[in-house]
Amino acid sequence: MLTFYLKVNGSTRTVLCHPTKTLLDVLREDFQLTASKECCGKGECGSCSVLLNGEVVCSCLILISQVINQEIITCEGVGLTTNMDIIQESFGAEGATQCGYCTPGIIVSAKAFLNGIDYVPTEDEIKTALGGNLCRCTGYTKIIKAIRTAAEKELVIKGTVTN
Amino acid sequence: MLVSEIEVVTPATLKECLTMIANEDMNTRLIAGGTDAVVRMKEGKWRPSTWVNIKGLRELRYIIEKDGAIHIGPLTTHTDIIKSSLLQKKANVLVEASREVGAIQMQNVGTIGGNIGTASPAGDTLPALYVLNTVLELSTRNSKRIVPIEEFFTGPGRTILKKNEMITNIIVQPHGENEIGIFQKLGPRKAQSISIVNVAISLLMEKDRQVLSGKIAFGSVAPTIIRAKKCESILTLHPLTDEMIQNVAKVAWKEVMPITDVRATAEYRRDMASSLLERGLYRLMRRWENK
Repeated sequence: MLTFYLKVNGSTRTVLCHPTKTLLDVLREDFQLTASKECCGKGECGSCSVLLNGEVVCSCLILISQVINQEIITCEGVGLTTNMDIIQESFGAEGATQCGYCTPGIIVSAKAFLNGIDYVPTEDEIKTALGGNLCRCTGYTKIIKAIRTAAEKELVIKGTVTN
Repeated sequence: MLVSEIEVVTPATLKECLTMIANEDMNTRLIAGGTDAVVRMKEGKWRPSTWVNIKGLRELRYIIEKDGAIHIGPLTTHTDIIKSSLLQKKANVLVEASREVGAIQMQNVGTIGGNIGTASPAGDTLPALYVLNTVLELSTRNSKRIVPIEEFFTGPGRTILKKNEMITNIIVQPHGENEIGIFQKLGPRKAQSISIVNVAISLLMEKDRQVLSGKIAFGSVAPTIIRAKKCESILTLHPLTDEMIQNVAKVAWKEVMPITDVRATAEYRRDMASSLLERGLYRLMRRWENK
């Protein structure tokens, strides 16, 4: 067992665990940040998506030893019920979630995607950005709509687009 | 060996790393992005006593132009390649192939050195590297050797890499003014899929549709990537008209030697290899004529 330091959702956290524990297991079991989910465990479904230094990654395939002192943002860090992000509000407003298992991963992927652009993305661009996130309930239509809505709202706030 | 018993060491420099893997008493294995390594660790296939974690080794993450070639560090991620304006301009076939690797989550952490080292017959960057005449620099603590990529793979998941050796540089030949390339892939769906067949094509054009020389590399149709030498040799015989393209594709059908596995039957792969090559050459000719 070793001690590891990392920055999670803005604060420095410490964990005592074996060096090959996955980042996902640390987040869920040691930090009780249970938004990120394990589903396939091999990088195919995206349920465990988190931001590592601003880039979306599968936390189930990263060892705790590989993220020492690095910056992690989980869905909880994107926003909670009290301070929801525009993306999370749009998911609620558009009804873009059903069972909810994939939703935190998709929110994180959407966050990384929208952070990197300053325009309203096309449907194809959203589909490509979400290529690594599976949802077995919604059929994706409302998810795509929610992300477009969030992008529009963000641009209105930034003053780039007027409604 | 339980997962919880495996140790992880993180070398600060390449030199330190090469010293670690040279230690014959230690059962080590390299881990970079981990997109394959962690999956195999979980499955019980790869349980070294120590992972040598090279994810943060900055000195092996670069894309630079040097002496007329492009040097790519093995820890360069697929995202780095996709965003590189140098590669977009001079080795676009590799950029196209990197875009087809997994999804964004995989591209952000998966490395080109890892894609080569894993040696999957379906690895998407590999056919692109073949047609770019790639050579690999393999280093041990006290020696270096340069190996053409064709000689690196010995079978599915098998390479000539020794236990104390690692890939330290990937050198590709950039495309010149009259060279064009394309990567085509068929997977069960668009995102996040393992190739059923993939193909990379690189052509040196004269004028109109006359090809001076061409390279075609198929993935997933043999134990390793294969060059379609017969197809390549007929590319230059006549201008690459639509009819010629169909003929080349027919030769490809005979030249590939796929197997049946969980992803597809051998027969389907043969048909698709032929179709992908045909489609790739059509698209390439359209690009050339619009250039």
